[in-house]
Amino acid sequence: MEPLIRASGVWKVFGPKADRIVGTPDAALERAELREKTGCVAAVRNVSFEVLPGEVFVVMGLSGSGKSTLVRTLIRLIEPTAGEISIGGRDVRAAGAAELRDLRRNDVAMIFQHFGLLAHRRVIDNVAFGLEIRGMPKSERLSRAREVLRVVGLEDAADQFPDQLSGGMQQRVGVARAFAGNPKVMLYDEPFSALDPLIRRDMQDEVCRLQVETGQTMVFITHDLSEALRLGDRIAIMRDGAIVQLGTPEEVVGAPADEYVENFVRDVPRSQVLTLRWVMRDPEPGEALDGPRLDVGTIVRNAIPALAGSERPVLAVDDDRVVGVVDRVSVLEAIAGEGG
Amino acid sequence: MSGVVAEASTVVTTPALSHRPWWRGQPVQVALVIAAMWLAYRALRLEYPWPSRLAWETLQFELDRFQVWLIEQRSAEDKNVVFAVFDGFRALIDDLVRWLEELLLWLTWVGTGAAGTLLVWRFGGLRAALITLAAFALFALTGLWAESVQTLALMLAAVGLSLAVGIPLGIAAGRSRQVARFLTPVLDAAQIVPAFAYLMPVVILFSVGPAAAVVATMVYAIPPSVRITALGIRGVPVNTVEAAASMGSTRTQMLTKVQLPLARRMVLLGVNQTILFALSMVVIAGLIGGGGLGAVVNSGLSSTPSVALLAGLVIVVMAIALDRATEAIAERTDPARRHLDAARLRIVRLQTAAVAAGIVVVIAAAKLAGVGSTYPAAAGVRQRTVTAQEWLLTRIQSVLDYVQDPTSWIFSVTEPTGIFILQKLLLPLQQFLVEGPWFTTLLGLTFVAFVVSGLRPALTTFVMLGAIGVTGVWGLAMDTLSQVLVATLIAVVIGVGLGIAAAESKLVSKAMRPVNDVLQTLPQLVYIIPFIYLMPVSIVPGIVAGVLYAFPVVVRLVERGLHDVAPQSVEAAGAFGATRRQVLTKVKIPLAGDAIMLGVNQGIIMVLAVVVIGGLVGSGGLGYEVAQGLVRGYFGQGVIASFAILALGITLDRVTQGTRKARKEGLG
Ligand SMILES: Nc1ncnc2c1ncn2[C@@H]1O[C@H](COP(=O)(O)OP(=O)(O)OP(=O)(O)O)[C@@H](O)[C@H]1O
Ligand SMILES: [Mg+2]
Repeated sequence: MEPLIRASGVWKVFGPKADRIVGTPDAALERAELREKTGCVAAVRNVSFEVLPGEVFVVMGLSGSGKSTLVRTLIRLIEPTAGEISIGGRDVRAAGAAELRDLRRNDVAMIFQHFGLLAHRRVIDNVAFGLEIRGMPKSERLSRAREVLRVVGLEDAADQFPDQLSGGMQQRVGVARAFAGNPKVMLYDEPFSALDPLIRRDMQDEVCRLQVETGQTMVFITHDLSEALRLGDRIAIMRDGAIVQLGTPEEVVGAPADEYVENFVRDVPRSQVLTLRWVMRDPEPGEALDGPRLDVGTIVRNAIPALAGSERPVLAVDDDRVVGVVDRVSVLEAIAGEGG
Repeated sequence: MSGVVAEASTVVTTPALSHRPWWRGQPVQVALVIAAMWLAYRALRLEYPWPSRLAWETLQFELDRFQVWLIEQRSAEDKNVVFAVFDGFRALIDDLVRWLEELLLWLTWVGTGAAGTLLVWRFGGLRAALITLAAFALFALTGLWAESVQTLALMLAAVGLSLAVGIPLGIAAGRSRQVARFLTPVLDAAQIVPAFAYLMPVVILFSVGPAAAVVATMVYAIPPSVRITALGIRGVPVNTVEAAASMGSTRTQMLTKVQLPLARRMVLLGVNQTILFALSMVVIAGLIGGGGLGAVVNSGLSSTPSVALLAGLVIVVMAIALDRATEAIAERTDPARRHLDAARLRIVRLQTAAVAAGIVVVIAAAKLAGVGSTYPAAAGVRQRTVTAQEWLLTRIQSVLDYVQDPTSWIFSVTEPTGIFILQKLLLPLQQFLVEGPWFTTLLGLTFVAFVVSGLRPALTTFVMLGAIGVTGVWGLAMDTLSQVLVATLIAVVIGVGLGIAAAESKLVSKAMRPVNDVLQTLPQLVYIIPFIYLMPVSIVPGIVAGVLYAFPVVVRLVERGLHDVAPQSVEAAGAFGATRRQVLTKVKIPLAGDAIMLGVNQGIIMVLAVVVIGGLVGSGGLGYEVAQGLVRGYFGQGVIASFAILALGITLDRVTQGTRKARKEGLG
């Protein structure tokens, strides 16, 4: 499948003469050294990735690792210093003002951590804003806005003003605003980190539901690992501006690329993320292969009932072919590994 | 309200934690320089006035000739392009003012009052409307309706044009760093020039008349509107701007749909400030053909003081009413706060329609009933009218008589105070500066500038003082300088004292605020008037007025500076067992030194602005020369003195700016 978003070798350097850094030996310096030497901050360093249509691509990292900067460079809210970016076959970096506007109006929508709602407009006018600046007639855009508000469960708040709503409701308005234009790609920059945990969970469910319903492609920034694991098809982990690991949730949890990633995933309940693939072993010679059969992609935790109900080890199968054996010991080891 | 501007300029200047050593070493060095000047003064007194070899003595004559040439050019049949353009512009503004005045008169006094009150009621609410109504009532009762309307027309024109220039510039500065970087020094410079000093150049370009008054007012009133508009645009939350950009807004859409609505409150507060700045020019605009209340004050100053005071009172009330009305409008029409839903919107629209209809009905009724255009009706129109003018004038006169009666209690306070200021402070300093050898004064002041502010300010000081000498007004400038220094000294002593009190006690702080606000709303000359009679000791009224005008700023800066002293330092000192007093004197005041210095810097410029206006009422010095130039038409003399005031302003600013200028970033 053709990727919908493609970023390669993207750099963003802030500071004086920032464009003179990429391509020189200075670019290889650590972030702190670079700042010391040139006064510049390399917020994003040589980042490349691709996102497939319909995929949920999560970017994770500690505060200051460059996530927000990265996602903004995708639609040039922040002008990248170097690299190539294409969205839906469009060369974003080469786009002129009008084409860039067209991209932002029709193809991509963004949702912000601090909502960024227009305080002087009613909720419904906020949702209709994107349509308004495209020049859609008033009655049409208001009816579309009402429709979207219904989807996020806010039809009763249409006439209220942003400061009359709770944080969770405000972010729903932000989501509705982004959805109103039917974008192909949604960019979320830590959309729920300002919300309290219960509401955050609700919102995550909502986003999952919307994503499944619409099949939209999502780039989702977060520094909350459980959020990343819940939503992400693939996760990119950033540190000091660069991607240190990119993989599926189970790859990240099962095989952390370095200590930084390991620290991130240490507290993850592994049995809830890893599949049998990560805990199975090769059958021993002469071992009887007559235990229950489970798909190799089954989450470990979901294999526990089968394992408990049978004297024999579980067989992990891929297309009816036995690829490994999972016994109680390996599962217990996986669980025992949780919490470090 | 006047806080906004001060706020805008002080926010960025909180004193740094680490402290530069000017507070320690500099006073000693400055004292040494002054001691040397003193010795020279004692030894060589009166022997070295500014040498005539170094003065350009025909300058005044040349300037007068230039004026004759200007007048010829202006009245010539076939003007050259420059004059045609200026003339056209002048005619345009003259027409605008006249047209506005005729409109306000055509509406009749009932119609004008009703329209003003109802409009304020609709947009600013009941309280502001009542204040407006009271102001109109006062215009009528004082019998100064015609003059008030004239002033209103002048204000409408000047404020309208100022905003037409200032708001777009402010928007540009708010949106673009380059524009801001370009405009900041211009605005800073405009702030240093005392309004009195650019009357003369304006008269050169536009001759005397409403246009000159409007232009002079605009020069003074545009900077605040630019600053505050820029501040408002920049204050729109970045999140919101970014979100709108992410949806593909064009630059125009961003401005009209996001930035302007969200900055609207600030922009309107900028309008409020612009109006107050413009009003504070009314009186001196009266000197160059502004007419209206300003002219009444000016002519009354010399002949009938009670009339001048009455007109001054009307100006003050007009200022208060316009201040309250525009502030209320700014707050109440902020779309981000008033939450207009569909139903409320309908009600509001109905109200607007009702108010519009009401205005039309009142005007129509007034016209049909034959109500006069002013109150009382103009001569020749028979109408029974009653004003309180006579009664008010008698009251004012009796107060004046009382304060000037040598046997009254108040006289026993004001007279000695005035004499003390004059004999113990002013005259000695004046002699010191005027009669000391010119070169020690010049070099001494340059050296002080070097010690306090550095090399470049010292060079500027040298050049400016030199220029003052060369143009032949050294003695006059030293006279004015002595007045400025005395007034600044008093203002700083009062300001620092009250500032410390306000920082240490919430009660004092609260009590000070309204006083400060009122003092800063009043037009500069209005300050002086009462003191002409209260302290009838030649130069003193100008000085007292300067003190009153400047000390609130010092109070505010000092209070702020003390508040901003890092709590850690205070806590640490407390942990060592320092008493509150020790913390104050040993930690806070030294650390707040920068704020005090900034207070001196801003205060001295404000004092200068008022002190030169004192020239109108007998303070002498440069201000008197300008006044003569304006009133009597002594052109060359006025221009030279205006230039010297400007040079003095720049000098004072440079000498007192300290080494902090680098961190002072204008525009917000
Ligand atoms: N406009 C800017 N000018 C200079 N440096 C910047 C700018 N914006 C971001 N940075 C720097 O770039 C780095 C990355 O910032 P960024 O906001 O992308 O991090 P983040 O991963 O989104 O962090 P958070 O989780 O706190 O949002 C930080 O070190 C930040 O200080
Ligand atoms: Mg971020």
